Amino acid sequence: MDSSRYDVVVIGAGLSGLIAASAVASENLRVALIATGPGSFVLGSGCLETQEIVRLGGSPDLNEAIEFFCERSRLAGNPFEGDIASSRPLPAILGDFKSVALAPRLLWNAEPRADLSAVVVGIRGLSDFDENFMAERLRERTRAMGLACRYAARQISLASDCGAPATTLRIAKRFDCDPEFRSELIDALRRAASGFERILVPSMLGLLSSEPEILQFEREVGCSLGELPTLPPSIPGLRLFHHLWSCLQKTGVEMFQGFPVQKLEIHDGLCTGVHVASPGHPLILRGESVVLATGRHAATLLDRSCPGLDTQMRPLDAGGSAVARNLFAAGSLLNNGAGSRGGATEILTGYRAAKLAAAGRGSYAAR
Amino acid sequence: MESTQVVIIGGGATGAGILWDLSLRGISATLLEQGDIANGATGRCHGLLHSGGRYVVKDGGTARECLAENRIVKAIAPHCVDDAGGLFVQCAHDDPAFFEQWWRAAAEAGIPSRRLSAEQARGLEPNLAPDILGAFTCPDAHVDVFRLVLANLGAAQARGAKFYAYAKVNAIRTANGRVRSVVYRNTRTGEEGEIACEMAINAAGGWAESVAAMAGVEVPVRCEKGTLLVLNDRPSSRVINRCRKAGDGDILVPAGPVSILGTTSMRVSGPDGLRASSEEVDGLLRLGNELIPGLASARILRVFSGVRALYSPEARGAEAGREISRGFALFDHETRDGVGGFVSIVGGKLTTYRLMAAEVCDRVAKKLGIESECATAKVSLRPGVDRKSHRRAIQMLPRPVAERMERRLGLEVARVLDAIEARPALAELVCECELVTRAELEYVLGQSTPLPAQTIADVGRRTRLGFGPCQGTFCGYRAMLAGFQMHRWSASQAAAELSSFLDERWKGQGFIHQGNQVEQLDLSQELYGADPPACVTSGAQDG
Repeated sequence: MDSSRYDVVVIGAGLSGLIAASAVASENLRVALIATGPGSFVLGSGCLETQEIVRLGGSPDLNEAIEFFCERSRLAGNPFEGDIASSRPLPAILGDFKSVALAPRLLWNAEPRADLSAVVVGIRGLSDFDENFMAERLRERTRAMGLACRYAARQISLASDCGAPATTLRIAKRFDCDPEFRSELIDALRRAASGFERILVPSMLGLLSSEPEILQFEREVGCSLGELPTLPPSIPGLRLFHHLWSCLQKTGVEMFQGFPVQKLEIHDGLCTGVHVASPGHPLILRGESVVLATGRHAATLLDRSCPGLDTQMRPLDAGGSAVARNLFAAGSLLNNGAGSRGGATEILTGYRAAKLAAAGRGSYAAR
Repeated sequence: MESTQVVIIGGGATGAGILWDLSLRGISATLLEQGDIANGATGRCHGLLHSGGRYVVKDGGTARECLAENRIVKAIAPHCVDDAGGLFVQCAHDDPAFFEQWWRAAAEAGIPSRRLSAEQARGLEPNLAPDILGAFTCPDAHVDVFRLVLANLGAAQARGAKFYAYAKVNAIRTANGRVRSVVYRNTRTGEEGEIACEMAINAAGGWAESVAAMAGVEVPVRCEKGTLLVLNDRPSSRVINRCRKAGDGDILVPAGPVSILGTTSMRVSGPDGLRASSEEVDGLLRLGNELIPGLASARILRVFSGVRALYSPEARGAEAGREISRGFALFDHETRDGVGGFVSIVGGKLTTYRLMAAEVCDRVAKKLGIESECATAKVSLRPGVDRKSHRRAIQMLPRPVAERMERRLGLEVARVLDAIEARPALAELVCECELVTRAELEYVLGQSTPLPAQTIADVGRRTRLGFGPCQGTFCGYRAMLAGFQMHRWSASQAAAELSSFLDERWKGQGFIHQGNQVEQLDLSQELYGADPPACVTSGAQDG
C-alpha cells in the first residue's frame, strides 16, 4: 500500500474531530488529523449538558460514544465525572444554573449543595469577572432552589502582571509556566479561603494542568476549588483540547496543525485527496475515508451549503445524493443553524463518523 | 402637578426637533417618549440624509426640500453626518429613459451632480457591477440617527427643556374643549405622572393614530413596513442608489464600520410586532447583488424592520406604498375637530425632520400667541470639541478611540478624560468594534450625563456598543457588570437587563442562515443559554 496513504483523514480539531481521530486510531488504523486551531473548544463550556443528552436520547450508540469519550479524557489526564443519566446544577455565566451530566471535577466543585459555605474570588484587574455579581446571583438562585448556601465575595490582588486588563487566558498561561506566580496565587487564595469550605474562581487554573496537578494545587491552598464559567476563551475547553490533542499525538496520529484545508479533491463520487494550504510543496493528504469535522467552515469546502446528511453521515449535494461515498461529516456541520450545546453532539457524531469511515475502508473502489 | 407650556409626545427625530425648536423660541416644553430615543421609525431606517435625488423625477418639490435640509443638517450637526456623497448608478437592465429624466430633473431641482462614465464610477467604487452603464453623483450622506436625536435633545435640555424616556402616555385630559394635561406612566418604574400644559403635540409617528384617539380625534396614518439588513462590510464608501423608479433593495448606505441595505415596503396594520420574512431578506440580497456583486455573501450582522408612518388622507386602495406622498401633514385639531391645544404631525422623512419641526412650532407659537421665528436652521446643535480637550484625548487614548469618542460626546469628552486621568484602568476598551472605553460606558450609565442610559440597549444608542459583529455577546456582558458595579442594577436586575438586551440582538439575527454570524449567534446563545429565537425582528437600527 502507498505509504503516503492514510486509512482515515480527519479535518478539524474541535471536539468531534478529536473524538473521530481517537476512535479511528483506537482501531489501530493510520490517521492524519489536520486543523487550524482548537475550533469550538475555545467557546465551549467544558462540560456536557443534560439538555443536549436528552435531545440525543434516542441514539442507540450515545452511551458507547460517551463512554469512549470518558475513557479518552481519563487517559488524557482530564477526567470527566458524572454520568449520562444525571442532571446536576452548575453555574452559568449569568450566575443562574444549567443542568449538567458530565464535567471535570474542577467544574463540579462549583455545584451548590445544602449548607455550602463558599467564597467567590475575583482577581483585581480581571474586569470581565465580577465576584460580587456572581456571589449575589448564586445566593439568590440557590435560595430559590431551597438550598441554604452561603456565598461571600473577595477580591485578591496579584503583583504579577497578567495584562491590562487582565484576562483568564493570560492568568492560565502564567499558571502553567510560572511557579512563582503559582505560589503567589496559592498564598492569596489561602488567605481568601479562611472561614470557607470552598473557593470559587473564574476558570483560569491553567491550560495544561492535569488532574493530579490540580489536586496538588488544592492541597497547597488548603481548600477545595471550583471553577466558574467566564466569557470566552473558555479555559476548561482549551484545557480539554490540550489534553486530548497531546494524547492523540502519543498514540501515533499524524497531526498537521496550523494550515487550512484548501479544497477536497472529488472524482467520480470519491474524495481522493485533501489539499492543505502549506508553504512550499503542496501538501495533499490521501485517505481511504475522510471525516469532515470543520463545523460551518464545511460550507466553503463543499462549495455549497449542505442540505443535510444521508443515513451514513455523508453530506448531500443539492441533488440529494452523497457528495462522495467516502466522505463523512461530524460535528456542528450537522445542525444547520440550530447550534450545538455543550458537546455531546460533537462526541456522538465524531464517534459515529469514525466508525463509518473505518468500516467503509477498502470497499469504495469496488463500487 | 408639573406644568409646562407644551407637551410633545414621541421621541423620534421629529419630536426631538420640535423640542429644540421650541426651546430656541423660549417656549417651555417637555417631551414624553414611550421607550428610549429614536424608538420608532427614526431608529429603524437607513440613516440616509437624502440629497433629493431619490424623489427628483417624481416630485421636484420634495427633492428641493430634501436638498435644502440636507445642507442645513450638515451645517448644524456635522458630528452626526458622514458626508460621503452618493451615486445614482445606471444598471444595465434598467430603463435608460429614466436616466435622462433623472439628469434633467436633478438639474432643475438644483441638485449638484456630475455624470460619470462606467469607468469613472467604478474608479470611485470598484465593487460596483462590471456591467453598469454609468452613474450620477449627488450630495447624499449618512446621518447617525441616534446621535442626531441626542444632539437635538441635548441642546434643548441645555436651554431648560425636559425629556422623559420610558414615559408612555396613557391619557390626554381635556376640559371645555381644550387639552389640559397629559398623563403618562414610566414603563420601567411603574410610576405615573401628569403634566399640565397649554398645548400637546402628537409626534408619535406610527403610534400617532392611537395617541390622537386619546384626545378623541382621528388621524389617518398608513403604516408601511420596511426591512433592512446590516452588513459587516463597507463595499462602497458612498451611498449607492439605483437610478430607477424607487423600488426595493436599491439603496446601500455605508454607516460607520457597517453598511445598511434596504429596503422593502409592505403595508402593515400598525407599528408593533413587526416581522421580517426570509423572502424579504433573500430579495434584498438578490437586488443588492445586482448593484454590487458578492454583496449576498457578505456577513449579515442583523435584520431589522421599521415602520414608515405615512400620511394617508383616504388612500385605502391597492396602490403601492411608494406612490403615497412622502410629504407630511400638520393637523390643527382645534379647527379640524374642535379640540383646542392639540396638533398632530404625521408623515415626512428623516431628512426633513427639522423642517417639519419648524412648521409645527410656527403653528404652535402662533396659537400660544407668541411672536417668534424659527432659528434651528442657523444654530449649531452642538459646539465642537475644544482644542485642549482634543489634545488631551489623543495624548491619553489611541487616536481612533479618541476621535470616535469626540464625535459621540462633543464637549462632554472632557468629563470622560477626567475620569480616565483619575483612574487609568478606565481607558480599557469594553467594545472593541465601536471603540468604547470603560470610562465612556460609565459616563453614559452615570447620572451626571444629561440623558443617562437606563438599559444596555440605551447604552448602545448612545455609544454604538453592541452594534458590531459580536452583537453584544461580550460588550453587553461588560455593560451589565458596569451597571451592577455602579449600583444602577442589583445582580438579578443586571442579569435581566442583559437577557432582554440579548433577546433583541438575537431576534435580529434569527434570519441569518450561514456564515460567521451564525457561529457568533450560536456562541452567544450557548453562553447565555437560550433557545433559538423566534423569527421576529425589531429593535433599533444598528447602522
